[in-house]
Amino acid sequence: MSANKYLIATMALIRDTFREAFARKIFWGFFGCSTALILFFIFIMRIDVVQGAVATMTIFGKEAHPNQNVNLLVRQVHGGIAAFLYTAGMFLAVFASAGLIPTIFEPGRIELLLSKPVKRYHILLGRYIGNLLVVGFNVFYLVLAIYLIFGIKTGVWNTNFVMSAFMTMFMFAVLLTVVLLIGVLVESAAVAIMVTFALMLISPILAQKSTIERLLSAEWSRDILRGLYYALPKFFDGGRILRELVIGGPIESWMPIWSTALFGIVILSAGLYSFARRDF
Amino acid sequence: MNYAIETEGLTKIFRKRWSGKEFRAVDGISLRVDRGTTFGLLGPNGAGKTTFVKMLLSASHPSAGRARIFGKNSRDPEARRPIGYLTENHRFPTYMTAQGMLDFYGALSGMEAGLRKKRIPELLERVGLADWMTVRLGKYSKGMLQRVGLAQALMHSPDLLVLDEPSDGVDPVGRRQIRDILQALEEQGVTIFLNSHLLVEVELFCRDVAIIQRGKVALEGSVRDLTAGSGYKVEAENVPEMLQAELRTRARATSQENGVLRLMFGSREDANMALDLLRAQHCEIEAMTRTNSTLEEVFMRTVDPPPLTAAAVPASAMKETANVG
Repeated sequence: MSANKYLIATMALIRDTFREAFARKIFWGFFGCSTALILFFIFIMRIDVVQGAVATMTIFGKEAHPNQNVNLLVRQVHGGIAAFLYTAGMFLAVFASAGLIPTIFEPGRIELLLSKPVKRYHILLGRYIGNLLVVGFNVFYLVLAIYLIFGIKTGVWNTNFVMSAFMTMFMFAVLLTVVLLIGVLVESAAVAIMVTFALMLISPILAQKSTIERLLSAEWSRDILRGLYYALPKFFDGGRILRELVIGGPIESWMPIWSTALFGIVILSAGLYSFARRDF
Repeated sequence: MNYAIETEGLTKIFRKRWSGKEFRAVDGISLRVDRGTTFGLLGPNGAGKTTFVKMLLSASHPSAGRARIFGKNSRDPEARRPIGYLTENHRFPTYMTAQGMLDFYGALSGMEAGLRKKRIPELLERVGLADWMTVRLGKYSKGMLQRVGLAQALMHSPDLLVLDEPSDGVDPVGRRQIRDILQALEEQGVTIFLNSHLLVEVELFCRDVAIIQRGKVALEGSVRDLTAGSGYKVEAENVPEMLQAELRTRARATSQENGVLRLMFGSREDANMALDLLRAQHCEIEAMTRTNSTLEEVFMRTVDPPPLTAAAVPASAMKETANVG
């Protein structure tokens, strides 16, 4: 297939995902929630800028004193918002968009897709990227809007906060590979959501690995714990790294990020492989 | 590249996950479909037709054998570029409009945006849905969905059309319209592979057919050959009951209407024997004609062998048929 035809097909698959997200009100649901949050931040903060310094600032009902380090305060608030968006937004994103992948496997729809001169992995990746872009558009819309609101009102332009959008999207991209694999294997959005949520919920438990290890007597059970910790996506650790990034704190280890990326690559490959092998 | 479709020993075996039991849905089918022809694939439910078509389109992977589309291995996505496909029980996304749907599938076939934009109104006009272009598919009737499905299959001007029950749910007028479209395509040299339960439709439209049963080709040939000269019909009046009883045991089928006894025989010898018996009893012989089978009769004989002695058959079922191949 020529590069041009490849691009035409890819764009069609992405456009179709957006169309379905619009039709199912998934996109507008995200957009509405993001806009509501943006309005919330516009009106929650009252600020007076006098000679470049913040005279009085109220965030979440807390008043900052004029002599307080505004930069630090904004970074901390950014950190809190980023962590909230990362956690709550992720649950919402997985829940809302999990159906977008399994729908293409519906009998009567998949045969038609497969009859086109497009490789199977291309169809699935097109859908996956479309799904990422649906969520990504709203995540960046929200994060950039909050960044602008804080920047304009406080004069503190914390670019690390924008990084939180990339971090959130990175983790969503990894979790979406799980949705994709489960979707291919069992064609069920509900099961895909359950498994993905389970991975997210087990993550803070596994993150306490060193504490739990002390409670376990058998070596094999400690090995299992370690194996699970290193093999599964580190959603909780990712959140901690995200917060440190935003507030400008030190990052102890990037291992949770690259091992999670590795998990995503393996699961995505497994999903694409299973799809290529399946009979419809 | 003389054949539009060529399969060699195409086999699909399904295995039960736990017991390991095998089921051969398609069992070594070797089939050749000439370029530019109209080919009908027939078979009872569960015969393996859909699995066969799915393997042609690579929606299902063969357990053995191979399939070629215009000489290319069917597993190569490029082999599917000249194919237009309308699936049975299609489920087009209801959030799409006809325009959006044709645009999407056209793009997947690699069509440029300008060409898609030009082709969509033409095609929708052709299938009688020009006024419905911007209406969501969720509001379409079954027949309309079938027609927009056909438009989708024609979107990229394919050289091979694979149609699974194309007139399913379509009213007689729409059915005629679809047939006219297909006939026009046939004249343009497009190969049409039809999978349909409507035997009359296949008989009217297809040049060649294959009947498959239990995953194997049970019968294959041109419609003209398969339906030609299948038997003899003898009509007589005033046939004594004793003779009637004897003839019924020898005939393939019998019926009686307004005092005329109609007897169907499979061979000339049997028909002549019947004439001798009727003459011996001084019965009035009305006619003896050679009959053609309908494709339905050929189909029924192939997939379900007739009983040795046929019960009385309605006269309408015995009407002489024209060879429409």
